[in-house]
Amino acid sequence: MLGKTMLGLFTLALAVVFVDAAMAIERGNNRKGKYVYRKVYKACFERGAVASKTPPVSPDTKTQAEWTTLFDNRDFGQFGCPEEWEKLSDKDISDIYTYLHDHASDSPTPAKCK
Amino acid sequence: MSITRKLTLPATILAVAFLIAACTATTLQPAPEAATDTGWQYHAIVDVDFVGQHVKVPMAADVMIIDARPKRAKYDKGHIPMAVSMPTSQFDKLAGLLPANKDTLLIFYCGGLKCKLSHKSAYKAEALGYTNIKVFAKGFPAWMKKQGNYAAVSADWVKKQIDRNADMVIVDARPKRKKYDKGHIPTAISIPDSQFNKHVARLPADKNKPLVFYCGGLKCKLSHKSARKALALGYTNVKVFAKGYPAWKKVAGIAAQTPASKQIKAGAEEGSIDIAYFKKIMATNPKSIYLIDVRDKDEVATGTLKTAVNIPVDDLEDKIKSLPGDKPIVFICGTGARSGESFYMVQDIRPGLKNVYYLDAELTVRKDGSFSVKKPL
Repeated sequence: MLGKTMLGLFTLALAVVFVDAAMAIERGNNRKGKYVYRKVYKACFERGAVASKTPPVSPDTKTQAEWTTLFDNRDFGQFGCPEEWEKLSDKDISDIYTYLHDHASDSPTPAKCK
Repeated sequence: MSITRKLTLPATILAVAFLIAACTATTLQPAPEAATDTGWQYHAIVDVDFVGQHVKVPMAADVMIIDARPKRAKYDKGHIPMAVSMPTSQFDKLAGLLPANKDTLLIFYCGGLKCKLSHKSAYKAEALGYTNIKVFAKGFPAWMKKQGNYAAVSADWVKKQIDRNADMVIVDARPKRKKYDKGHIPTAISIPDSQFNKHVARLPADKNKPLVFYCGGLKCKLSHKSARKALALGYTNVKVFAKGYPAWKKVAGIAAQTPASKQIKAGAEEGSIDIAYFKKIMATNPKSIYLIDVRDKDEVATGTLKTAVNIPVDDLEDKIKSLPGDKPIVFICGTGARSGESFYMVQDIRPGLKNVYYLDAELTVRKDGSFSVKKPL
């Protein structure tokens, strides 16, 4: 009985790990991410949805952990421009994540969007 | 002795009277010598319209327009299209350039009415037996004054402007795929004459910026046609490099297109240039790459690499279409962030442009153009 319970718990733990791993955002290309991120707001600006081409959220507004959580949860609402974000591929999102993460407030090279 | 004294007074009065008369005559009427000091002028003078009638592409076999001014100082910078350079000072040495047919129409010109060079050359040609010689006495200034006219420039001049990164736009008027893509003058943009109106937006907004059109040489009309179209649009500084790409290849020594992709050693990151290789190329042959500093102007003001041109990343998108494709492009900035962004911008907007790289490194440039590079954090 105990053996069955242990096996069940182990299987559950393994499943959680795999599901978590599947949900976790992957690293992409930092440099490309910067370009794609800015391109999102350029497109958004050109259709008149925002007042500026400059992205409203700079990398240094969050810590690396906060960026990871946000992207793991795909919580993109605070970025605005939903039409443009919906069009992004998983690769684009990974690239943007990597850019924001690598220039977070607690990173070696925090950055602002100019 | 007394007779001498008696004659002295009347002689003096006469002499004074003669002098006054002479001076008055000089004042009222130009001295005959000054009025006829035109002995140096050739006897057959023509005007700008006459010359214009004979500027043809290609030139007629029985006409030659000859620029008698110094080559480097004058001809190279601007001359009547299709004119041949034959400075008067080197007439004897260059006489072989004159046509064999002594009945060919020779039109000499130089720097205007006060310039004697064209007249001197005309006499020299006459002495050689040429029978149909004219001098366009008002010369190059009058040519340029006439609306719709433009100057031609030499290959040496074009090369000099490119070497010093002059602020001008070189336009290749030949067909793109068949000609431009196979080789063109560095920094030239492709606007085939047949598609001039379609691509006219690629010309600079500043109508005073120098535009230099070229095509396939002295028999090619395309650059001339495009130049006239640009003039009609209001561009004020239009030139034609009439000898075109064949002459460029001679002066540059090689075709403009280089097997650049074989020359650049890539770095670890996609699109990056190997840092050690970048240092080496900057030390040995910096002009072999087209270096673009994408930092803002205020940053560049504190120092940039000597061969770099500044296109801030925010202005790059509008200029991507006119980036040259004849040698590798390397973007630089302070950390690799903006240069990397520039690389991906080119990949996105002009994927056909190959041999584009960026320096993925921390770059510090001093005022004197010296620099240090560190690997990125």
